[in-house]
Amino acid sequence: MSAIAAKGGPASMDMPSTLIGLVLFIILLGLMFVLGPISAFYALIGVVVGGVLIGFGVHFVPVGGAPAAMGQAPGIATGVAMLAAGAGLAGLFGGAWAAGQGTVIAVLTGGVGGGLMMAITGLMVNAIYVYGMGIPAASGKVTKDPLTGDLQAAYKSQGTEGHGLPFVSYVGGVIGGFFGGAGGTLIYLELLGVYEQALPALFNAKIEQIIPLAVALAGTFAVGIFLVNAVLAAYNITGTIEGPHDPKFKRFPRAIVASMIASALCGLFAILLVVMGKF
Amino acid sequence: MVDNIVFGIGITALAGALAAVAGAAEDVESDIGSQGDPNSQVQLAPQMGFIHRIFNKAIAGEPPAYGLWCALGAGIAWAFLAMQFNPILAIILGCALATFVQGVYATTAYLGRTASLAKFGQPVYIDILKSMTSVTMAHAFVAIFTTVSLCYLMNAALGHPFPLPLLGLIWGIALGAAGSATGNPFYGKERQYQNQKFGAGVPISASGNIVRYAEAGQRNSLDNGWFSSKLGGPASGICFGLIVFLELWRTVIFDKVSGGWGAIIVGIILILVFAVVDRYIETWARKNYGPYTTEETTA
Repeated sequence: MSAIAAKGGPASMDMPSTLIGLVLFIILLGLMFVLGPISAFYALIGVVVGGVLIGFGVHFVPVGGAPAAMGQAPGIATGVAMLAAGAGLAGLFGGAWAAGQGTVIAVLTGGVGGGLMMAITGLMVNAIYVYGMGIPAASGKVTKDPLTGDLQAAYKSQGTEGHGLPFVSYVGGVIGGFFGGAGGTLIYLELLGVYEQALPALFNAKIEQIIPLAVALAGTFAVGIFLVNAVLAAYNITGTIEGPHDPKFKRFPRAIVASMIASALCGLFAILLVVMGKF
Repeated sequence: MVDNIVFGIGITALAGALAAVAGAAEDVESDIGSQGDPNSQVQLAPQMGFIHRIFNKAIAGEPPAYGLWCALGAGIAWAFLAMQFNPILAIILGCALATFVQGVYATTAYLGRTASLAKFGQPVYIDILKSMTSVTMAHAFVAIFTTVSLCYLMNAALGHPFPLPLLGLIWGIALGAAGSATGNPFYGKERQYQNQKFGAGVPISASGNIVRYAEAGQRNSLDNGWFSSKLGGPASGICFGLIVFLELWRTVIFDKVSGGWGAIIVGIILILVFAVVDRYIETWARKNYGPYTTEETTA
């Protein structure tokens, strides 16, 4: 029941921590600027943007955790980071496949892949609630669905905080999946570009020979950085969130600062791994 | 060109079918092992004085657990493939070894979690461990084998650039996410709280009072697996099957249309179609089940 107890609303930014974080962020970018070529610096900026997209996107995903599994709270009955990872990585799968068609196409393909995963999952969640359990969707955080205008309070069963996925939560899930898939794909593409540039010189091999290694390395780091950002956002949310209409959603600026620093650190490590050799 | 597309559609259909089986097996496995979010109640029940005979292995969420097992199965299969093993044999061997890891996980998780409840009088039932671990392992093998197989098809037949272990990790996490999202409410509300009213959420005050008795004797997790296989499992299978099938389908068919925009537009159309269906289900429920109170009329 800790998830229900951890209600909370918007939390203010802690300015000293934010400033320290931003200084750290600038130091990390400065390190990249000094230690690597300018293309690696731009790649790190891309990784940071991807990480911020993921951290921001996770806040849209309606997650009810354990209480949702008993119909005691709205949202999808699993963990925040886990559901976002499931959708975002499904998007990364599609984005990586479209990598040869340019950054814009690949990032959008990845985003749509993540959104599609969430659209199907959200639909099946509501189908189970309605047809398997006879429970209509109801939000516990707002009196009216901001998108449809449906009143919510009367559809909450007694002794619960609501249940199922109201339409605004469903749309939030799709948007969250989109941001996750797009962010993950962007990180992958930026790292892939760096590795394709650096690995042939490092191993004294042709680019065709190092492609499998570059793809595997970039994919692994993309998954890793994705999980780092998803878990950071989950800590910011503390437990459950209904989607963009939930007061907790307003906490996202903190997650964006945290994602910037964490992505810069992870990206720096992933890039220096090859850039410190020959470039 | 046409042959390639027809081949791609065939592989896509096969991968979708494998994913449907994987989703169903994953949900039933996690319900028999009680690994999803509803397990919070299995852990809570003895603390509220309700001693039970339900398995208890939720030391990790389903997505990371399945990410591990599928990546392990795919990684070992990949190693065997590198040793020139026949692909089918390599995948079976890899998945069998990953299933043994799942068995070790299930055993230690059950012993650890249940032993932690000793001060509330909850015994560790050795017969439960003996009879149920093998059943979760069997279901886990089906889920891991089908997932690794579809990853192999994506890599070898459809030419996805990611290596097999990375595909195993990605689709293992997605499998766990889809299975837990769809199947958990059915196991949590409809099964564990079968004694509560149908058509309403479980009141928070009833937490921990899970159903502990079956038609004959005490209920155990095999009974729960039987129940989940009626709806939660198949629904999870449809969910994961649709995700894999449609993701591949839009890419295989429309990837080359308009320089890649085809797959994006088709994906957006699919999302809109699912959103309309979801909205229909939501309004259908509001219309047919009605509100719990008359508050709305005065609001």
